[in-house]
Amino acid sequence: MSYSTSVQELIDQLGRLPGIGPKSAQRVAFHLLKIPTDDALKLAAAITEAKQRVSFCTRCFNLSEGGEECSICRDPRREARILCVVEDSQDIVAIERTKEFRGRYHVLQGAFSPIDGVGVDQLRIKELMSRVGEEDVEEVIVATNPNLEGEATASLLLKFLQPMGVRVSRIASGLPVGGDLEYADELTLGRALEGRKTLAEGEN
Amino acid sequence: MLVRALHLKDYRNYHTADIEFGGGLTVIVGGNGQGKSNLIEAIGWLAGIGSFRGVADDALIRVGADSAVIRATIESGDGREQLIEAELPRIGRNRVQVNRQRVQRARDLLGVIRVTVFSPDDLSLVKGGPALRRRWIDDSLVGRHPRHDSLRSDLERILRQRNALLRSAGGKLDADAEFTLDVWDSQLAAVGDALRQARLDLLGEIRPHLTRAYDHVARRAADVRADYVSSWQGDLGAALIGSRRLDVRRGVSTVGPHRDEIELSIGGVPARTHGSQGEQRSTALAMRLAVDAVVRAAGWSPVLLLDDVFSELDPGRARALLEALPDAQSLLTVASDVPPGAAPDHVMRVDRGTISVES
Ligand SMILES: [Zn+2]
Repeated sequence: MSYSTSVQELIDQLGRLPGIGPKSAQRVAFHLLKIPTDDALKLAAAITEAKQRVSFCTRCFNLSEGGEECSICRDPRREARILCVVEDSQDIVAIERTKEFRGRYHVLQGAFSPIDGVGVDQLRIKELMSRVGEEDVEEVIVATNPNLEGEATASLLLKFLQPMGVRVSRIASGLPVGGDLEYADELTLGRALEGRKTLAEGEN
Repeated sequence: MLVRALHLKDYRNYHTADIEFGGGLTVIVGGNGQGKSNLIEAIGWLAGIGSFRGVADDALIRVGADSAVIRATIESGDGREQLIEAELPRIGRNRVQVNRQRVQRARDLLGVIRVTVFSPDDLSLVKGGPALRRRWIDDSLVGRHPRHDSLRSDLERILRQRNALLRSAGGKLDADAEFTLDVWDSQLAAVGDALRQARLDLLGEIRPHLTRAYDHVARRAADVRADYVSSWQGDLGAALIGSRRLDVRRGVSTVGPHRDEIELSIGGVPARTHGSQGEQRSTALAMRLAVDAVVRAAGWSPVLLLDDVFSELDPGRARALLEALPDAQSLLTVASDVPPGAAPDHVMRVDRGTISVES
């Protein structure tokens, strides 16, 4: 059986979302067709609204609402000398919940994963290096996920940053291995930040 | 360890099934396609998080059902009972519970139930390619030390990443390619060295049992050996750097534990190419018995799952295997009759997914 063009289009669009396979896409599409029109339009409006208001911070690539730079980069109380590098914006939310970190962030927008077509050029590494060169950064904390790709990303960053003479550290183990940063509880994540290991001593 | 009870729902050809098992030897009789092997396959699934027949999870769900359920009551050596449950949905991730507590990852179940599986396909351990023997040693490794499961899954993932990176280099090894390869090579070196060492250690434990088991099953003394032949010498990190030019050209990783081999020989002659059919069968049985003995020596008591193995054996070898089996709960499937020489404690019959207990 084949669906009408508009239904098929909806299924195809949903199927492009992360974590949604063809079968789930079908289920969600039929769910959307069943619910009241108002509710479906609210979802469409929320997507439109978010897409219009939210952009990526031009400095750290975190999500930014109502400005070129995100609220953290605009906050003068945040210390410029410590930079915490994460894979995605969700990780910032997780680290902010710990209330342990007063520095700034840099979002790579992914992890080093050749099977997903993500290499050096797809990550915001060049931008990170110019920030380390231009801002008064003394330490870069690498807070990528505690899985294979996160570790690979950490060693890649170390190779780029070590020659720049900046101190590089990695959040401590103790996080569930193979997991995602965003699922770690505040206490564990706070401890992991606190107990970070130095990978490279800075030159000053 | 004892499997006390097994409950299946929408597993293979079973709508529902509830079976209680006793200790000792249970013979499960049933014709082809009646579902006798599915019973021990389900127990094997809980032990190894997958079908020992190499069938994908979604093929285990009964046609027309959305998910299959396997639930088993296990009694450990100290008499403690555990309820293990796995739900295999067609869509989404498997859900696994121990004592009605959800476990985060299915892999955390490894080691809760331990089994030793004998199957007619075991002959391919000797006759087949090196990948099958690598799988044998790695499966045995996880059976012996469940935590080593991460070595194997990490290796697979790192190799996929490294190979994708090799292919993206487009056949030439420039400075950029070297720079990024360093990252995955150091991970491959760490995991690869650890996996090879773990395999070597285990093979060292297996060796004396292998000789003894072979002599028993073949009913004559022969010098059967399993030798590890590694694809690299010395430091894996250095070997990977040395192989980079070749690897980039071919788009695959040519050294590492995934290229190692376990060579089996009988009296100094390669079993794979020069062994008789009988010698090859005895070697395969000895490999299963030897790993079982290693796990038992470490203080565990695996349940023996024997899937239709006697149909392939001559009466002499069948009898010798029965004698060589350790004293443990054993579930044995057969197509027609209880094999000669077997003294079952219980007999069940399976007919089109219906189970009846005879004794
Ligand atoms: Zn920002």
